[in-house]
Amino acid sequence: MYQQLFTFGAAFLGSAVESTEALTIVLAVGLTRGWRSPLYGTVAALVALAVLVVLFGQLIVERVPESILKLVIGTLLLLFGLRWLHKAVLRSAGVVAMHDEDHAYQQTVSELQSATARHDWVGFVIAFKGVFLEGLEVVFIVVAVGGTSRFLPYAVAGGLLAMAAVAAAGLVVRKPLARVPENTLKYAVGIVLTAIGTFWAAEGMGARWPLDFVSIFFLVVAYLVASQLAVMLVRRRPVLA
Amino acid sequence: MNFLRSAAREVIGLFVSDWVQTVVILAIVAAGWLAISVLHITPLAVLIALVLVLAAQHIWFALAEARRTSRPRSPSPSQS
Repeated sequence: MYQQLFTFGAAFLGSAVESTEALTIVLAVGLTRGWRSPLYGTVAALVALAVLVVLFGQLIVERVPESILKLVIGTLLLLFGLRWLHKAVLRSAGVVAMHDEDHAYQQTVSELQSATARHDWVGFVIAFKGVFLEGLEVVFIVVAVGGTSRFLPYAVAGGLLAMAAVAAAGLVVRKPLARVPENTLKYAVGIVLTAIGTFWAAEGMGARWPLDFVSIFFLVVAYLVASQLAVMLVRRRPVLA
Repeated sequence: MNFLRSAAREVIGLFVSDWVQTVVILAIVAAGWLAISVLHITPLAVLIALVLVLAAQHIWFALAEARRTSRPRSPSPSQS
C-alpha cells in the first residue's frame, strides 16, 4: 500500500512541476492571441503524449525482463533526478537564477506580440510545442516511476491528477502560477527521483536492499544531506574577482 | 524539422546536462553492476559505496560548475 502511495506521490509532484511550466506557455498564448488555437494545440499535444504513455508503458511492462528494466530505467531515473538536483543546488546556492514563472510568461508574451502579423497557427504551434516538450518529462516520470514498480496505473493517476489540478488552478487564476514553490518542488522531486533511481538500478544489478522499499527513505535522507552539503560548500567557495 | 530537432534535444536534455558528469554516473553504475553481478562482492558493501560515490560526485560537480560560473571569461581572439 505504501509503495502504491509513494508511486502516486512521486508521479504527482514531478508532473505538477512540469505542468506548471506548460500552463505558463498556454496562458501566455491564450491571453495574447485568443484561446481557440492554443487550446487545439494543447489538446493535440496531450493526445500525442497519451499515445506515448500507452505505447511505451505497455511495451516496457510486458516485454522487457524485470532485471534489465530496473537497471535501465533506474539508471535513467538517476540521471534525470541528479540533473534536477544539480540545478536545484545551484539555484539554492544563488549561482543560477531561480526559475520565475512571471518572467517566463512575460518573455513568451513579448515573443508573441512581435509575431502578431503572422497567421493564427503560431498560437497552435507554440502551445503544442510547449505542452508536448514539457509533457515529455511528465511521460518519463510516469513511465519510469510506474513501469518499474509495476504500479503504472497509480503513476498515470498521479500524473493526470497533477495536470488536472494545475489546469484547474490556471483556469481560476488566469495568470502564471508564480506562487507555486516550483524551485522547492523541483529540489524535493529531484531527491525523490534520485533515490528511486538508485534503488531500482541497484536491484537491477542483482542486489537486495535491507528493509526492501523502506530503504528509499534512507536514500532520500542521504541525498538530502549530500545536496545540503553541496549548497553549503558552493556558498562558501572563494569568489574570483 | 526544427520541431523534431528541438524535441530530440529536449529528450537528450532530460538526462544530460553535463556530458562528463553523465559519463561519470554511468561509470559508477557500471562499476556497481560489475561488483555485484560479476565479482560477487557483498551487495550491502557495494550498495553503501554506490550511494556514497553518487553523493560525492553530486557535490563535486555542483562545486565545479559553481567555480566555472564565477570564473571571469578570458576574451576570445576575435574579441581582442
